[in-house]
Amino acid sequence: MLYIHKTFSISVQQNLLQANIELINEPVNKKLQAIEPAYEKIPPGILRRMGKSIRMGVGAALPLMSETDPVNGIIMGSANAGMEECVKFLNQIVQYEEGQLTPGNFVQSTGNVIAGQLGLITRNKGYNVTHVHAGLAFENAVLDAIMQLNTNPSNSYLLGGVDEISSFHYNIEALAGTYKKEEVSNKVLYEAGSPGYLVGEGAAMFVVSAEANNFIAKLTAIATIHSTDIELVQAQLKMFLQKNLEAGTAIDLFLSGENGDNRTLPFYTACETLLADDTAIVRYKHMTGDFPTASALGLWYACEFLQQQVPQHMFKKKTSKTSYRNILLYNNFKGLQHSFILVSKAW
Amino acid sequence: METAELKLQVKKQIIEFLNLISVKPEDIKDDEPLFGEGLGLDSIDSIELIVLLGREYGIDIKDPKEGRKVLTDINTMVAYIEQHRTK
Repeated sequence: MLYIHKTFSISVQQNLLQANIELINEPVNKKLQAIEPAYEKIPPGILRRMGKSIRMGVGAALPLMSETDPVNGIIMGSANAGMEECVKFLNQIVQYEEGQLTPGNFVQSTGNVIAGQLGLITRNKGYNVTHVHAGLAFENAVLDAIMQLNTNPSNSYLLGGVDEISSFHYNIEALAGTYKKEEVSNKVLYEAGSPGYLVGEGAAMFVVSAEANNFIAKLTAIATIHSTDIELVQAQLKMFLQKNLEAGTAIDLFLSGENGDNRTLPFYTACETLLADDTAIVRYKHMTGDFPTASALGLWYACEFLQQQVPQHMFKKKTSKTSYRNILLYNNFKGLQHSFILVSKAW
Repeated sequence: METAELKLQVKKQIIEFLNLISVKPEDIKDDEPLFGEGLGLDSIDSIELIVLLGREYGIDIKDPKEGRKVLTDINTMVAYIEQHRTK
């Protein structure tokens, strides 16, 4: 269990400037690209060397990292981190026959570059780890934070998930049939009924601790599973709820990672059959697009929904409730990597 | 190529190589120090500039002391390029 005290995000919907979740920015060239702010907290000399994922990650994290109340460590999830810069560097190796290589692309090209830059900028010498397990990168970062807090209950950590749309990764995934082939507006994403999803990008950051003071949300449980078997995933969710849901409580909002891909939809509908009639179902990937660490933005939305009303366009199923106490997040990446996260309100 | 023309080209290449988004060629004065004061470049930038000289002008600087002199400002860079360029 961990407590979430502060949150911050950068995504397609300008969450950084104002948490305006009524707004829906639409895709451009089938991509939902994050809208970046001015990044006033990043020194200009460092900013000009950063690739987009680094800018988003560092830019979303710095507002949470105060000098007066420093965190004890940085735990990041990113499937691809500085992939764009990595490919630029590899191309230089080929183009210049391993001769004249610039350091800028190289220093940004590693998986741990976001957590590393944050450590350097904030002079944080504590635990600094990045998890890179594709569609479960952020979930593994959450598990790491829980284990760290079990060992060091007085500590606090910066926990986050970041990924960018790199041109190399986009081209490979597009050829593999991961994304929608046709132009689809995200306003009608769930009615498309075709294979593939809209690719997105973004960063979500959280300050977490084991202290139950001044918290926004309590993350009570998390579980992950690799499987292509719908019945197995459904059974795992049933067990997860039986084990982790407190007696006398119920899930009143199911935050679904449904992404408009008809190949993964059966997983979501199978999990929805386990919900009670008075559980609302809410979707967010028409806002964010899908990417390996989109579940970090899912957790950011869950924290928002514990504090403010859910916009109409996010409901798949409405109930009579207008405020929510227990939220279940289910995310599914490419029909293979699944995660369940249980989040509760402060009371 | 005239010296003034070469200076403008070098300034544009510095901006592009170092991703100096908010800097325009006319913002870089010919006698303004590139490092520390002035443009405020750092040690990583010096490696980028040495790579720039190699790729764009076929100049191979191996001695760090020589590199420091060459990269003092636009005037020293352009003078060195005019004397040593191979392409």
